[in-house]
Amino acid sequence: MSEFLNLLAAGLTSGAIYGIFGACLAVWFRVCNVLNLAVGDFAMLGAIGTAELAQTDHFPFVLAIAATLASVGLVAWIFDRLVLHYAFDRGAGGHGIVSVFFYTFGLSLILEGAARAIFSTDVYGAPAIWSGPALTIADFHVQRAGVLVIALAIVSGLVLWAYLRFTVSGRAASACGESVLGSRIVGIDSALFRRRIFVGTAMLAALFGIVESPLTGFTYQSGPTISLIGVVAAGFAAFRRPGRAVAAGLVIGVAEAMLGGYVSTSYNDVLLYAVLFGIIILRPEVLGLTAEPA
Amino acid sequence: MPVNPVPASAGALEIESVSVSYGKFVAVESVTLSVAAGECVAVIGPNGHGKSSMVTAVAGLVRRGGRVRVFGETLPAGSPGAAVRAGLVLVPERRHLYPELTTRDNIMLGSYSRTRRLWARQAWEDVSWVLDMFPELGRLLEQKAGTLSGGQQQMVALARAMAAKPRILLLDEPCLGLAEAVARRVYDWLRVMAETDMTILLVEENPVHALLVADRAVRMYKGLVEQPGVAA
Repeated sequence: MSEFLNLLAAGLTSGAIYGIFGACLAVWFRVCNVLNLAVGDFAMLGAIGTAELAQTDHFPFVLAIAATLASVGLVAWIFDRLVLHYAFDRGAGGHGIVSVFFYTFGLSLILEGAARAIFSTDVYGAPAIWSGPALTIADFHVQRAGVLVIALAIVSGLVLWAYLRFTVSGRAASACGESVLGSRIVGIDSALFRRRIFVGTAMLAALFGIVESPLTGFTYQSGPTISLIGVVAAGFAAFRRPGRAVAAGLVIGVAEAMLGGYVSTSYNDVLLYAVLFGIIILRPEVLGLTAEPA
Repeated sequence: MPVNPVPASAGALEIESVSVSYGKFVAVESVTLSVAAGECVAVIGPNGHGKSSMVTAVAGLVRRGGRVRVFGETLPAGSPGAAVRAGLVLVPERRHLYPELTTRDNIMLGSYSRTRRLWARQAWEDVSWVLDMFPELGRLLEQKAGTLSGGQQQMVALARAMAAKPRILLLDEPCLGLAEAVARRVYDWLRVMAETDMTILLVEENPVHALLVADRAVRMYKGLVEQPGVAA
């Protein structure tokens, strides 16, 4: 029983990581029908930036977090102004599959290169926000950082779900993804929604990277893997439902932990990619692999 | 003393020398048109001669030259938000609803620029009076707009526009793609709207449809208003 509970705790922790990045992907896809393949790189910047500022430059921890989050938000804002604005508001560049994948894939490569140039190839971990030994109940152990990760994922998922479901602003954000022209004729500024949510989810991903990094560590190459598992979790939620993406991430994480614990960890990646293939075959439209909706 | 006095001769909607180009192609050459308060003017003419380009430019959706004034207030070019806030609301060709959102959300978002509510429920309460005009929508409120029939979707598009409480309504081909019987119903609704004090500029390829509601009609041909003043 204790083995099951410990596997469950580990699965929920990794599942929360999948889920939150899935939620970040889903909420932005809902607004502009583009996958943010740089979301993992924003998490990487958050983790490495905070670790560098706090441990090497000896910034106070809270200041290091604030400075890193502000920097990540600024990077996202600049990218929106320099690339997304021209691609989507001025009608420049390609659309369809090009916009779905390659704008943010390019950003991912740039951020990875920049992180390698600015930092090093070492493994970084930001200081733990909630430090101390693992919490233990009977034979059940869970890291404090893991508890924070799970709590942050659930709270973020609930907040995003409530925003989209109950607020006029959330409905307006959804309308932007449904019809840009339809949203503009009622006075909704689709570019402003796209920018705000891109910057907001970049900062949320960075915050999650900071909270998660004491558990897993980050290198400059961590971003694409995180983005990929986010894509899988978001795919379960049709790329449009952040609350469901968090739930899907938790399920994938637990399934992966159980598979690793009772069968073999060798099958973890198989499970992840099998899910991805399942999405491509069963719901190809959400990956932009069929004709765009009218 | 008003800050921006409206000239006595000014119409509710003043379109002055409006032009629209797509690259080298001139879709609207230089259109000047005035619509009086409470008047319904139809812009008729064959497809591809600039009617829709003109009306979408007036609504701020495409770049334009020239000037557009709404009750004396000059609208900035290319700003649909400013147009909506000034009371100028477009029902576009092919409706452009939000197919995955419910009928209720589609209508509610019509008031987005007007009410600025935080909660969707409050915003809906502000616009639920629209159902008095379109009672059939009452049973469709929780249905996704993309699953509605063409006629129902047009009704939602009109209801969404009415939720903005427009002073001037721009209608672009409201019956495009609809069966004749459904088109007649759409024009029944438009007649009800025209009987209020609302100012309407209607773009319609079919003059028979247009003259069901319009006080007068002008014809657009090759990007120009050709014959103003045709009596209905």
